[in-house]
Amino acid sequence: MKRILIQDTDGNKKKDLRDFAVALTSQLRERNLDGQCQVVTVADLGVYNKGLAARVLPEGFIYKNLEIKNITEIIDKTIIAGQKIDALAFDKKSKQMRVVLRNCGVVDPESFDEYVGNDGYQGLVRALEMGPEQAIAEMKKSGLRGRGGAGFPTWLKWDITRKVSGDVKYIICNGDEGDPGAYMDRSVLEGDPHSVIEGMMIGGFAVGATYGFFYIRAEYPLAVERIQKAINKCYEKGLLGKNILGSNFNFDMEIRLGAGAFVCGEETALIASVEGLRGYPRPRPPFPSVKGLWDKPTVINNVETLANIPYIFAKGGEEFGKIGTEGSKGTKVFAVTGKVRNSGLVEVPMGITLREIVFDIGGGVFENKAIKAIQTGGPSGGVIPEQYFDTPVEYESLQKLGSIMGSGGMIVMDEDDCMVDISKFYLGFCVDESCGKCAPCRIGGTQMLGILTRISEGKGKADDLNKLNQIALAMQKASLCGLGQTAPNPVLSTLKYFAEEYRAHVEDGKCPSGKCASLVSFLIHKDKCTGCGLCARNCPVNVIAGSRQEKYVIDQEKCISCGMCYQVCKFDAVERQ
Amino acid sequence: MGIVKQDLLNMKTVAVNKRAKNWIRVGYSTCGVAAGAKEVLEVLTEEAKTRGLDVEVKKCGCLGLCSAEPLVEVNVEGAPRVFYGKVNKDVAHKIMDEHVCQKKLVDGHIYEI
Repeated sequence: MKRILIQDTDGNKKKDLRDFAVALTSQLRERNLDGQCQVVTVADLGVYNKGLAARVLPEGFIYKNLEIKNITEIIDKTIIAGQKIDALAFDKKSKQMRVVLRNCGVVDPESFDEYVGNDGYQGLVRALEMGPEQAIAEMKKSGLRGRGGAGFPTWLKWDITRKVSGDVKYIICNGDEGDPGAYMDRSVLEGDPHSVIEGMMIGGFAVGATYGFFYIRAEYPLAVERIQKAINKCYEKGLLGKNILGSNFNFDMEIRLGAGAFVCGEETALIASVEGLRGYPRPRPPFPSVKGLWDKPTVINNVETLANIPYIFAKGGEEFGKIGTEGSKGTKVFAVTGKVRNSGLVEVPMGITLREIVFDIGGGVFENKAIKAIQTGGPSGGVIPEQYFDTPVEYESLQKLGSIMGSGGMIVMDEDDCMVDISKFYLGFCVDESCGKCAPCRIGGTQMLGILTRISEGKGKADDLNKLNQIALAMQKASLCGLGQTAPNPVLSTLKYFAEEYRAHVEDGKCPSGKCASLVSFLIHKDKCTGCGLCARNCPVNVIAGSRQEKYVIDQEKCISCGMCYQVCKFDAVERQ
Repeated sequence: MGIVKQDLLNMKTVAVNKRAKNWIRVGYSTCGVAAGAKEVLEVLTEEAKTRGLDVEVKKCGCLGLCSAEPLVEVNVEGAPRVFYGKVNKDVAHKIMDEHVCQKKLVDGHIYEI
């Protein structure tokens, strides 16, 4: 049986799609083919802005920009003869590549057997056969760099820890994922817990650690539950404990819960937290590789980094090194959120452009909106404007743009997002999460936030932009840990790329995006208003009054400028000033 | 004494042989559960049992398309393997009724990933 899956990929041709479906069905019926071919409207073909599109199964051809006049040809050539019509065809290549997420959505996360059935723990077998030095050499070949954000070569971290002498060594999995909009690690922990455990065991073996800690935020109860079940299963099977897989490698593992402080994702604060102390960072050096948990040499790897490791050992470092670019190997998982059609997780090979991620995979922004920028790297990252979307995704190239790869949050922003508001949000986040230990972060952050708030209220002073720059540079230089050093990044990058928007706030008292509530007002035009009352029903503070005859009016005194009436009005009767 | 390399390989063979021919996977991470995957899983499991169908219904992790959760992947003989998104109780019934039993794809919920 054949199937034709059809979809309106523009998102605004509902009626055309219906007509097309009706015409197609009736032609099939006329030719007595309706029993052999099913017509299905689908939600998403993974093709965007190509008009009416269809996929024909089982052949898998995709046709784009279809019209009713194409139907006869499709039935003749494809449905009956099984041939591809080149003039209509669209070649869709999947831009995603699944390495870290290879088992997510495939195996039952609570089943040990299914993980083993998908080559689980084969990487560990290989690592144990190689011995620690060879294992680190294999990691060097792979070129894997830390996925927590900074991109430090994983093999080097392991090598340093291995060479430090010490009776006891530790390995910690950093699962304190705290960036707004980022949830890659949660998905891996929940969807494929055994791969992270296997990665940690290989790491522990390579550096000579005998004990591993999972540091997971308490806000991830399902992740904690699944990791715990997986650990229990490993003990039951004898994969954890003494003489693992018949070797002389002994390894134990337990979970520690994070209490929700963002700073505990920073490695020295994380160590303090695991020790049971308050999550305060301390100056480095000495680095944790030398003096970490309970002053013993400690390796800290991010969840995604560890999930890569079983793959590297199962397939070989060289094979892994073929993915990605010269300096950035492998794949990266991004959590694409914000003003994008398909929000969710994507895994792409390094070197793909930002544009491909946002448009080809994410489906672009919603209709009638212009994309403005994306934010990567969370509160430590920056904003990348649309003109740089052709930049390849690599550690260095994103850094050059004033952002970072970060842990993988990617927030898409359109014309309705105000950059002053965005930087205020991120800075506010860091001010809330600052532990308060060092002055540049504690005081600098608060001062900058004060200035940004002033600007967003239209009370900015001429000197404010300079001041922001000055304080930001001081914070970057003098803060104790990564949180304070990187907290000004969103402000600096928006200042760099969207200086005009800032100036409009300061000099003209205007918010070009209409986001800053103190700077906009809304007005209903009587001549355009149809009196439908939709705005009044949606107003959260009930300050729109009127009737079908008299039309509607906003009480400006009480209006909170939320913009709800502007969004819901179907007749463009609400004006934003 | 724990398992050794050969045991792992044996377990792998057993697991591969045990794989069901017809299966339905329900994305069951936090994103899926928050969107209502629990109810969907219950309906599918219940239907498979009461109708006595030869199809294994099971949980899996997040497939990535979080905006379309709860996601359900269906692979049964006689129909193409597809993902259904934004599945609720009603759609779950339809999947069993139309896709699994009648081998017809369900309208309006297919997502390609």
